[in-house]
Amino acid sequence: MLWHKAWLETRGRFLAGLAISAIVGFGVIYDFRATERLLPLIRNMDPGALDTSGPIGAAIKEGIAAQQTFRGFVWWQWYRENLTYLVVIFGALLGAGGLLARSGSATLFTLSLPVSRNRLIGTRAALGLAELLAIAIVPSLVLPLLAPSIGQSYSVIDVMVHGVCMFIAGSVFFSLAALLSNDFGDMWRPVLIACIVAAALGMLEYIPAISPYGIFHVMNGETYYRHAGVPWIGLLISTGISAALLRTAAVNLAHRDF
Amino acid sequence: MSESLAIETVDLRKRFDAIDALRGLNLSVPQGSIFGFLGRNGAGKTTTIKLLLGMARPTAGQARVLGLSADDAAASVTIRTRTGFVDENKALYDYMTVEEIIRFTAAFYPGWRRDLEKRYLQSFELPLHQKTTALSLGMRSKLTLLLALCRGVELLVLDEPTSGLDPAASEAVLQTIVTHVSTEHLTVFFSSHHLADVDQIADHIAIIDAGRTVISGELEDLRARYRRVQLVFTGEAPDITFHTPGVVRVRRQGRVLTALSNAGSDALIEEAMRFAPVSAEVLPVTLKEIFLESVAVED
Repeated sequence: MLWHKAWLETRGRFLAGLAISAIVGFGVIYDFRATERLLPLIRNMDPGALDTSGPIGAAIKEGIAAQQTFRGFVWWQWYRENLTYLVVIFGALLGAGGLLARSGSATLFTLSLPVSRNRLIGTRAALGLAELLAIAIVPSLVLPLLAPSIGQSYSVIDVMVHGVCMFIAGSVFFSLAALLSNDFGDMWRPVLIACIVAAALGMLEYIPAISPYGIFHVMNGETYYRHAGVPWIGLLISTGISAALLRTAAVNLAHRDF
Repeated sequence: MSESLAIETVDLRKRFDAIDALRGLNLSVPQGSIFGFLGRNGAGKTTTIKLLLGMARPTAGQARVLGLSADDAAASVTIRTRTGFVDENKALYDYMTVEEIIRFTAAFYPGWRRDLEKRYLQSFELPLHQKTTALSLGMRSKLTLLLALCRGVELLVLDEPTSGLDPAASEAVLQTIVTHVSTEHLTVFFSSHHLADVDQIADHIAIIDAGRTVISGELEDLRARYRRVQLVFTGEAPDITFHTPGVVRVRRQGRVLTALSNAGSDALIEEAMRFAPVSAEVLPVTLKEIFLESVAVED
């Protein structure tokens, strides 16, 4: 029944995340047709016309290079940009609003049930993470399903590997919001703080020396895209951080007076 | 700690930051009693209930509920399996309907009483498909009471069960509790600052003030022990210091001197007669008077 309660509390956010991600994913496929039409123009462009010495020029150059193929376009537009943002936002939204916020003034009713606080937070976290995993993988399935409609193909294995990377690294923001939810009565401040932390980490990754070790590097599966390798260390570190954040949230909740 | 007690606290203390919410609370709630837990707003009633149900941890002292330590996380889960609770605010999940919250709660209690659920649903006329947030306070009170009563538990902990209710709804809630207890044989521990409620249904009471127990015992026994002696003098009432044990308070007003005793009136009358009053009368004391005198003493 705790699962049912957790589902009722999060289903709105989860279904919104799933629907928005699917729509954006759908858009990415048909955007490729427009991009495809621009490719000959870009290929014929004077190489000297673009100053690639600065970070913006370098990024444009990298973007152009990556988006020459459908797989590169998907990685750049979907995994590196849109889905990353969506997983951060919906990860934070699903992590926030635990025992205090969503149950509102019924917190005492929840606490009067014969259930340990660890089970309360554990059930809520497990369901939220399952929903985040679905957001990280399910909308991307439109890629292998609909790519043939524009004369392209996309591997289901790519979807799964990118999805798992996205989920594991993205769960850090879920766990951060869950931890912050113990201290805030509303669900918006934990979401806002988690998003600010994500933005700060994103900005740090503009520093070339930091970029390969950044959380977004793990999330977007760049290692897999470029070298067909799974970023095991990054995934392990992300898992460790998420576990530590959730454990801290559980300990804080266990010791909290209501 | 005694096995025959449903609830027992010994020197229970709770400090929130700089505030001492409980300052050495001692309670003994006999099994099978209807125990009224009285106190002013902010006296520590809700804090005590939270400590008993593991919603907060004591700073010091001991609390045992149904023989189990309320401070132990695992034991606390067992306590809550055997206890029904009604929160002062009667707050429930706003996204659930009446039927959903009943099914949700029932799932946690192996001894859930379907027969009682059916009976109370009928007598309370609860709309099964309405969201809990759409219910009036009176209906929500009845629903929270149903959720507590149907758990098939040994102990009911009710925090201000009639708070915010009109007299008719309040009466309905009290009658339900009394009827339920008479057939189900369980212990009821309920907090209130409505003295009439306590007077109506409790057989034992404790009065707390500023986090301490000031009076505790069987209500009939307290009523028998508390006596007001009213002495009338020919002139201004003399300023008397009584030496009789149990004199709680002495008041003088013109020719009248009133002494409140918590140890009967015989010895007090005997001592008072030495001051030659014109008349001496022994008056019964109401629970309200006992309460007001007890809390005033602590001030």
